[in-house]
Amino acid sequence: MRQYVTFKGSRSGLQLVLDDSANFAIILENLKAKLESAVVFFTHGTIVEVPDKVRILTAEQQEDLTKLLATYGLIFRESVKEEPIAQKNNVQPEEPQTLFVAKTIRSGQEVLHDGSIVIVGDVNPGAEVIAGGDIVIKGTCRGVVHAGAFGNSSATITANRLLASQIRIANLIARAPDHLEQPDCTEIASIKDGNVIIEAVNCE
Amino acid sequence: MGEVIVVTSGKGGVGKTTTTANLGTGFALQGKKVVLVDADIGLRNLDVVMGLENRIVYDLVDVVEGNCRLKQALIRDKRYESLYLLPAAQTRDKNAVNPDQMKELCAELSQEFEIVIIDCPAGIEQGFKNAIAGADRAIIVTTPEVSAVRDADRIIGLLESEGKHNPKLIINRIRPNMVKKGDMMDIDDIIEILAIDLLGIIPEDEYIIISTNRGEPAVTNPVAAASTAYKNIVRRLLGENIPFMKIEQNDGFFSRLKKVFNF
Repeated sequence: MRQYVTFKGSRSGLQLVLDDSANFAIILENLKAKLESAVVFFTHGTIVEVPDKVRILTAEQQEDLTKLLATYGLIFRESVKEEPIAQKNNVQPEEPQTLFVAKTIRSGQEVLHDGSIVIVGDVNPGAEVIAGGDIVIKGTCRGVVHAGAFGNSSATITANRLLASQIRIANLIARAPDHLEQPDCTEIASIKDGNVIIEAVNCE
Repeated sequence: MGEVIVVTSGKGGVGKTTTTANLGTGFALQGKKVVLVDADIGLRNLDVVMGLENRIVYDLVDVVEGNCRLKQALIRDKRYESLYLLPAAQTRDKNAVNPDQMKELCAELSQEFEIVIIDCPAGIEQGFKNAIAGADRAIIVTTPEVSAVRDADRIIGLLESEGKHNPKLIINRIRPNMVKKGDMMDIDDIIEILAIDLLGIIPEDEYIIISTNRGEPAVTNPVAAASTAYKNIVRRLLGENIPFMKIEQNDGFFSRLKKVFNF
């Protein structure tokens, strides 16, 4: 299915990027499916902005959008500033990009991104990493990681030391055993036959 | 311009106030002009630990609200000439002060003193935000417990988001015997999670309780184990290169065997 609707993380909340070529009804349908697939991703009270230059919405369309977002507890707001990146989206909706984070994610911190996330550092207990795509951690993962948050069950989670307290892929949740063994090599978590499984990679 | 150091931890009861009192006294022993600021408004303790409770006339909130001049609120220590305390108000709460006012206060204090040490309250709310506002650097105190380390990690993250990088770590209340038996988190485990520089290790010491109750910081005692540890930290903060105290880890054959079989 073609993606007419893309979410991007922004400073104030999320930014909604709409594909200009599609009909508004299709966009609404598409948006609904996306919201439905990842209720966790969209925290209540999150502000959603639409860059105004991308698409001039009629008052009626705006109201529809506001209503739909409101049913999922999201707040719609027309963004004030012109976003240079959004201009490019006029041509075609871009694939969500990969987010690189070069620091330790500590307790209480959250990394949220529509595409894949690469973290060069540790993910400490109490931290959350939520990605629309894959998650790769070049370090130790002790927090909660959620890959494929929009329902992509082929998403994977890779870490040099995978000691996550919880691993979520799409709508599946796997909890760490109460006595975790220390892995000696890089491991990858994925869904196989409806279960989250962890396999070693690059192991001598 | 003096340096403003905040002593914080997130979790309560890990030894922030004890650390503040001992580092302050330690600096005074080294001849530095120091002021200790109690930022725990409504639950003040630092004055008690310093044994200066009965001298309080004005407090931090009075200074901020302009009821008195800063000089009037400062209490000189009864033992050391160069050591001062700015006590917290007991009848108010954390919202009596805001971060901007604290910044201003710290700037004013650092004109007068070589070292300003702020005793941060537990928690991550207003009191914490006030305490860190004017600080140039932070010292994180933790104990070898999973909950304390978790909170320390949260605090390091919050300090980062306030633009305060590279805090230093003090691990308090280490019990060598328990570490030896493998019943306590060891220092390497803590450092691995928090990934910040270690400033010092304080062994568990009963003398701390005695000294707190007497209102005489432990550093004044020449023989207490915790006293030596605090003196070393003071010297490290002054730029000296002091090796860490050995936590007696006498790895005999039996203890190694025990470790292997995990009992």
